Order: sequence, then C-alpha cells, then structure tokens
Amino acid sequence: MPESSKMRKPDVKVVLLGDTNVGKTSLLHRYTERKFKDTISTVGGAFFLKQWGPYNVSIWDTAGREQFHGLGSMYCRGAAAVILTYDVTNWQSLAELEERFLSLTDTANHDCIYAVVGNKADLTDTKAYLSQETPDANQTESEEHRSDVLSACPTPPASPVSISGVTFPKQVTREDALAFYGRILRYKGSDERTSLPAEKMCFETSAKTGYNVDALFEALFDLVLPSMLRKRNENQQSATVDLEVCRKGGGKRGRSTCC
Amino acid sequence: MDTDNDQEGETQGVKICGPPLEVNTAADTLATSLSLLGNHMFPDVVARKAAREDERAQDVPEEPPQDTEGSLSLQATEPESQEHQDDVADGTQSDSGEFVVTVLAKAKLEEQGLGVKGHSSPLLEVGIQESPPAAHGGSHRDEDVTAESWRRHRKHIFVLSEAGKPIYSRYGSEEALSSTMGVMMALVSFVQSGDNNIRSVYSEEHTVVFLQKGPLVLVCVSSSRQSEQQLRSELLYVYYQIISMLTQASISRIFEHKKNYDLRRLLAGSEKILDGLLDLMDSDPSFLLTAVHCLPLASSLRDSLSQILQKAITPNLVFSILIAKNQLLTVVQERAVIEDARLEPADIHLLLNLIGASSAFQAGEIWTPICLPLFNPDCYFYTYISYLDPPECTVCLLLLSTDKEAFYAVAECKRRIEEAMAAQGSLGLIAKAQTYSVSQVGVADLRHFMYKPFDVPDNHRQLTQFTSPEMEAPYHTEEEKMRLLDLYRYMHGRIHSNSRPLKLIYHVAERETLLAWVTSKFELYTCFSPLVTKACAITVITKLLRWIKKEEERLFIRYPPKYSTTPNPAKSSRGAKAEQTDSSDNGFLSLL
Repeated sequence: MPESSKMRKPDVKVVLLGDTNVGKTSLLHRYTERKFKDTISTVGGAFFLKQWGPYNVSIWDTAGREQFHGLGSMYCRGAAAVILTYDVTNWQSLAELEERFLSLTDTANHDCIYAVVGNKADLTDTKAYLSQETPDANQTESEEHRSDVLSACPTPPASPVSISGVTFPKQVTREDALAFYGRILRYKGSDERTSLPAEKMCFETSAKTGYNVDALFEALFDLVLPSMLRKRNENQQSATVDLEVCRKGGGKRGRSTCC
Repeated sequence: MDTDNDQEGETQGVKICGPPLEVNTAADTLATSLSLLGNHMFPDVVARKAAREDERAQDVPEEPPQDTEGSLSLQATEPESQEHQDDVADGTQSDSGEFVVTVLAKAKLEEQGLGVKGHSSPLLEVGIQESPPAAHGGSHRDEDVTAESWRRHRKHIFVLSEAGKPIYSRYGSEEALSSTMGVMMALVSFVQSGDNNIRSVYSEEHTVVFLQKGPLVLVCVSSSRQSEQQLRSELLYVYYQIISMLTQASISRIFEHKKNYDLRRLLAGSEKILDGLLDLMDSDPSFLLTAVHCLPLASSLRDSLSQILQKAITPNLVFSILIAKNQLLTVVQERAVIEDARLEPADIHLLLNLIGASSAFQAGEIWTPICLPLFNPDCYFYTYISYLDPPECTVCLLLLSTDKEAFYAVAECKRRIEEAMAAQGSLGLIAKAQTYSVSQVGVADLRHFMYKPFDVPDNHRQLTQFTSPEMEAPYHTEEEKMRLLDLYRYMHGRIHSNSRPLKLIYHVAERETLLAWVTSKFELYTCFSPLVTKACAITVITKLLRWIKKEEERLFIRYPPKYSTTPNPAKSSRGAKAEQTDSSDNGFLSLL
C-alpha cells in the first residue's frame, strides 16, 4: 500500500462527554457544519477529524446514554482535552457529569485540559438567543426541528422563544459550573493556582444559535496546541506506530475503570 | 364453569401450553384479568383456551379433543366464496392434540358468531385496514392512550419487565400505559403460577401474542390477521434488537440484581431503533422469510468488491460488510468464524435496521458496540460504521471487530478499502446497480414474486437469501404494497401453519391470484393477474425458475470469500503487526 493512502494522523484528541440530550452532537455539528439540525441519539461514539491550521484534531463525539458507558474510558484514552457538557435548563445533567462522566476521564492524558460547557443557553439567555449566526439557515432549520423533535427528549423542544427570550428557567448558573470546575481540579489532584482558571474554562453556548460555539472550540484548540507540538516531535521519531505508542502510553497511565 | 367446544367462534381463544389441569380451577381469576384487559383494549373479549399438545390433557374428561381442522375452521364454516377458492395440496398431515376449551360467556360468543359470519375471509378486510404506520408522521410517544385512534393502530407492541415495569410501547408513552402493562403482566404471571405459559388471546378483531424471554415479556396486539407464529417471530425480532444493544447477559445480570430495574434507563434514545424495526417489519418481507435480500450486481463486480474487503484486514476483524441502498452487497468473514458459526439473516436485518434508523451515522466514523444475538447473544462486537460516498450516503461499510481498542486499525482498513474502490471506480458501478423489474423475467401475467432458495449453490449453509423484483403498479402505492404483503403473509402463514402445513397453495383473491410453493429446494411466492388460469400459472413458474437459474450469479451472493486475520508471518507485514496490536483486553467484552 502506498504511504499516501495513510490516514491523516490526528495530532491531538478532544472528547465530548455529557449526559444524553445535552447537545453534544449539535455543538459539534454547529462547529463543523455551521448548521443546527435535528439529531438522533448518538450510538457509541463518532470520530471526526478537524483541520486546525497545520494540525489534525480528532474529535470524539460520544453517546451520553448509560448504555454506552463502558466505552467512555476507551474514547478518553490519551485525550488532550475533554469537553464536559451539560444542559443549562437541566440541573441533573450537571450532576450526571460529576457522577458518571468525570471518572471516565481517568484514561485521559495527565495534562489533559477540561472545559465545562452549558449548552442550550438560547433557552434561558436573551443574548444567546439573539445571537443568530446564520439567519437564513436558521429559519428553515428551526421549522424542521420543530416538526420532528425527538420523542425521547426529556427537555421540551426549543419552542419559539418569547420576546423576553426566556421561556425556560435556568437551572444551572454559571457559579455552579465554576464550582464544578473547581471540583474537577480537586478530583484530578491539580493545583488550582497552576491550572487554567475556571473563568476561562467554563462556557455557556447555544448550538442552536451558534452562540459561543466557535469561541469554545477555538479557545480549546489554542490551549491544546502545546500538547500537539510535543506529540508532533514524538511522532517524528517513529513515523508508523504513533497511535500504538499513544495508546500504550495511555493504557499505562490510566487507572482502568473498565469492568 | 361453562365448558364448551364451539367451533364457530374460532377467532376467540386463549392458547396456553402446558398442563391444562390448573387452567380450569384458575379460570375465574383469569377471566377477571382478561376482562380487565378487555375493558382496556377490547370491549368484547371472549376467552377460550387451547391446551396444546400435552399428553396430560387427555386425562381431563371435560375437554374433548378439538378436531384437527380446528385452526382452519373459520374457512370451513364459511360459504365457499367466489373470491376465495383455495386449492390446497396437502403437505404433511397435521399434528393433532389441539384442544379448545371455552371458558367464558357463551352469550357473548353467539353474538360474535353472528358478527364473524358477516364476512367470509380475513383477507377481505385487509383492503380497508388502516394505512401502514409509516404514514404517521412525527412521534408516537405523546399519543393519547385513551383515544379511539390509539386503540385502532394496526399493531401494538409492548415490552415490559417481569416486575411489570413498562420498557417500550410502539404507540403512546410507557408511563401512561403502566396500568395496561400491569394487567398484561398479571395475565402472564397468573398463568405461570399454574406451570403454564400464556401464548395468545384471540378476540374478534385482535390477536394478542405473548412472548417471554428471560426477564422480559413482549406482547403484540395485532389486528393485522397475521398468524400467531408470524407475530411471535416479530416479537422475537424486537427482543433481538434489544439484545443487540444490551446483550442478553447484561439484561439477565441487571434483573438478577434488581428485579424492578427500569430498563428504559439503558434504552433511552433507542426507541427510534425499535420504532424503525417495527415499521421495517411491516414493509419488508425479508423478516417474514428470514432471508437477506441482496442488491443484484454483476458477479464480477461483486467478486471484486469482496476481494477488496478481503485484502483490507487487521487482527481481530471478523466481518466486513458492504451495504448499498439498504441492501447487502457482500459479506466477507474471518476464516475461523465460518467453521463454527454463520452469520444469520436476522443479525444482518438488525444491522441494516440500526443503520437505517440512525441518520447520525452519516457524519464521521462510528465506533460502537453491537451484539449479534444469533451469533452470540451475550457478547459485543465493536463495529466500525462509515459511509463511503458522502454526502449521498448510500454505500455503507461495516467492519466488526472483537477488539474494543481496534478503532484506529479498523479505520485504516476503511482507508484502504476506499482507495481500492476509487482505483476500480467501484462506487460509480455500485450507484448504477438497481433492483430489477418483474418485466425482465419476460412473462406476462406475473406481477411479483419472492424466491428463496434453501441453498444458494456455492454458498452452502451460509447466508439464507431471497430475491424479489420491485413492487410495481398496481402495487406502487403504500396501501397496495401493504395489501400484497398481507396476502403474502397470509400465504406464508398457511404454508408454515403448525397444525396443518401446506406445500402448495393456489389462491384466487379478489384482485389477483397467488401461488405459493415450497419444495426441498426453494420457497416461492408468486402473484399473478386475476385472470390467470392454473395451467398458465404453472407455465409461468417454470419460466420464472428458468430465468432465476440464468440470473443466479447476479441475484445472489454466491462465493462468500474468507480471510484470515490470524498472524501469519509469511503473509505480509500485517501478520507481524498482529501481536503488537493484540491488546490485553481484546476478545468479546461486555460493557456492563
């Protein structure tokens, strides 16, 4: 097989984690396709390769359902960044992050960075609601969205927001998210003073309107750049089996949570 | 206790297998339960019981053996109608020992007897049945379960746990149905307490079929006139689809641990997959025939695709499957696997349904655990799913590995497959491949057929397949398609009847004539224009069989290639790489 056929090697791995129906797939879709569309519950995990300047970022969009919980640690292995996503209108979704998802990140890189992202901000926040990134596309899609909204939605579909822009009570405040970020650092045993500050790593986004979505991904990619560069250097020594190296490395470090 | 052996109300009855002794003593309570269920679902249930094939039944004096013709008595008591002459060539003699005991109100029965008389055949009503469920847009979950429209659905499916907890309902939310499901569970466990199993309940309009699999109880309430056997096999598919997501082992483990566990926690988000399966079963005869329909393709092209798959392998890869337009193009298996097991059509159906139901697969590369229940109900395969022709997304590649960590190695296989296909221009050729028209057979009067050979030559004991042309006018509308499928289901039900299986049926229906024929070599269902004569139909079938023989290479997958992913240093660098990639926790891993 010619070398040219080789897959573009990912330089860095980013993983989206979070409870079912918080909008992980929609966030990624908004970022990569610049669109918001009706998605169905993700099965397993979906792998995407995103070009970021000269680098290849691999993004794992994982299923939030408990059914696929066992695979979480596999998706997280060797991750340089983990996006922990919750739904601002659903307190339980933040609680789930702590209960179910945080332990999955044990297999991530030791210097992995964490972002806490509250999605569906358009439902609670006028600013997010009014942030219409692509007005024309949004018009048609929101109609589509309304017509066949997932039946399994625990949260009601994004109905046309009233003038005030707020129809749903915000259940998770920014302070809750900041406090959760602090607990992540404590869980990881990281020093709060040397780690990235909570203000910088907590985001509120809307995949529907595009609010803060680019900011999230771009900030994250910029932050993992050092990790990319380091990995590039490692890769230059052995051009063929970089993935195995990374996997083996991750395996050793990881406190396996797999049952 | 009023016991009666009435033949007329044949459509009513509760079938119970096992010793019938308990049945009588318990009948009152059962009757109460039934009427409870009846209040909820069918206003006039009259229950009868059939204790099936049990020697001990002989000891019960007040249960006279039912005539072996019993299961056909509906037809027998009808006036011979023009539209429904059945020329029947008998297969084997039916097994006897079917008992029917009337337990409940005779008055009701007489009433219904009159009702039944009005129409001569179940098939007459098919035409005026509700349109297929596909027609309903949006979600069924928020349906009002007390509404008449809810009752009127052609086929309800319910899944519940042994503790009576709702797990799935095709229409309406499970919560709203928890009392209905409670009654269902009461029926099941009541009959169970007498060392019996409830199998079905017949009412005038509905057939209720029960299936218990481990800690799960599946119930189908159908007005589709399908045979009990067919409905039970559909329930089994529903069960398998659940297993394919969770595995049998983990379901048993969960319920051993916690009897009243709410399984919806694990199935949340999968309802669409079950919905999709039920819609597919209504519209796709593959399930009825338990055979796979592959896309007709020039054998040279199919072989070259197989070879491409065969070359792009990695350790622990077990199956490589290529799908186009939701039909199978080719399957390639690991050599070692072929020896001890084969890929069952049902497993392929579940995979096809999963892909069809999940539009999310169209983006990115998916890596997910999937259990193939007939292959091994307790373990997962890790499955790589990716479309090869974005954005059209018609050609889909599935690579099944036993190694949870093999994503990158398997993704690399896809890269090689993609490249080889690009070099040969395969995608363009696949895009041209189409299902065929019945007119290609070149005989007038033949409108449609389904042909299932028991052994595709050179594919001995591999994958059971069938071939069938497009459904064309007059079967081009959804209603007409469904009507033809219902006729096929009826014929299939007669052919495979437990009590009186048939080998050949010539059925003159209102708007068409059908002929079904089973031999040791094939199973064939044909549909002719209504004016065909018997002699003519036989000539047409001869021509059809000749045509299929000629086209065999194109219609079926004939040479399933094998590969070996076991390390073989002599072979290539791939072999050497094997040990390295063999990670510690490969093999079938359970997730829970």
